[in-house]
Amino acid sequence: MTEDQTQAALLARMADGDRQALAALYRALEKPVFRFIRSRLNDPFEASDILHDVFMEVWRSAGRFEGRSKVQTWIFGIAYRKVIDAHRKRGRTDLVGDVPDSADEGPDAETCLAAGQEAEHVRHCLGTLKDDHRAAISMAFYDDMTYGEIAEIAGVPEGTIKTRIFHAKKLLMRCLSGRVARRAPA
Amino acid sequence: MTRSAEELLPFYVNGTLDAAERAEVDAALADSADLRAELEVLTALRKQMQAEEVESPGEFGLARLMRDVDRDGPASSAPGEEPGNVVPIRRLRIWQIAAALVLAIGLAQSVILLNAPGDPGFELASGGAAGADFVVGFAPDATEAQIRALLLNAGVEISAGPSALGLYELAVLDETGIQAAEEMLLAAEGRLIDTLEVIAP
Repeated sequence: MTEDQTQAALLARMADGDRQALAALYRALEKPVFRFIRSRLNDPFEASDILHDVFMEVWRSAGRFEGRSKVQTWIFGIAYRKVIDAHRKRGRTDLVGDVPDSADEGPDAETCLAAGQEAEHVRHCLGTLKDDHRAAISMAFYDDMTYGEIAEIAGVPEGTIKTRIFHAKKLLMRCLSGRVARRAPA
Repeated sequence: MTRSAEELLPFYVNGTLDAAERAEVDAALADSADLRAELEVLTALRKQMQAEEVESPGEFGLARLMRDVDRDGPASSAPGEEPGNVVPIRRLRIWQIAAALVLAIGLAQSVILLNAPGDPGFELASGGAAGADFVVGFAPDATEAQIRALLLNAGVEISAGPSALGLYELAVLDETGIQAAEEMLLAAEGRLIDTLEVIAP
């Protein structure tokens, strides 16, 4: 039985009111779902609350899971929308992360590589991305999702996800390169 | 280096491309030193991101979840079951939706006639259409992803529903975008939307 089949079986048991199945599903997916939420929110407490809301909704909606996607994709979709709701409630606007003027203005890749090995820089630069760019790159690199799965979670065409990640990647490289350049000795 | 290969590169790095896409990227990598350098960057970036430890709520979060689940009662009904008072929209016919709209409008007008607009507690008997900009019935074969994309693109959110007949009330997120929202919803009529009523301002 695959991991997804195991999780689908847990959902089926949850639909019958099995709390132990909920606990098992929570233990299996809590970390990746929390990391995904946390990557889009600066506040760990708010991220914890949203994680809680996500699993409450999973519990309430377990009977409505139709198996047309992987369980993880379905749950990430719930988390994706809840974070958007949280941003909307706060009236947050995405003022950062403008698309680069042109693709050939990218930074030197070797510099980025050096920067990419420093966690602090990576965290900072991820934080400068727009939410939809950050969400897409988080799902691609934290969770190794396909572009089809990411598109399903975000509710947009696959081409949109490829474009978002293309621009997110450019912006990350530019940011990383800039930080390394500022730290470089004269 | 092609734009397509560049777009596929992150998914080459995370190992999720199919054989044909991998071959396309492999060919582009063989031809482009820039793309090979970018591959190294992305590989390092993914490794860095995955290595980062995140402190999740863990067992404390689970305990909180179980407490609230106990308060909340049993989980939803089994797949395929519907609450007794809800008619699934996939079973609806256009005439049923039309009849519901006529009934709702009639009821609303009745209440408007019976109550002076300034009276406390004045509201539409059709249930909350006050505050809504549109009332829609989605096509039975419209998927949740299609509906979500339509709502996001039109800049509207579901403000109430489903009603007993499966109708939803939609409200625009930004009043200045109401015209664009209406055009987008009208364009979806016949495909994702079976019936659309525009609530006059």
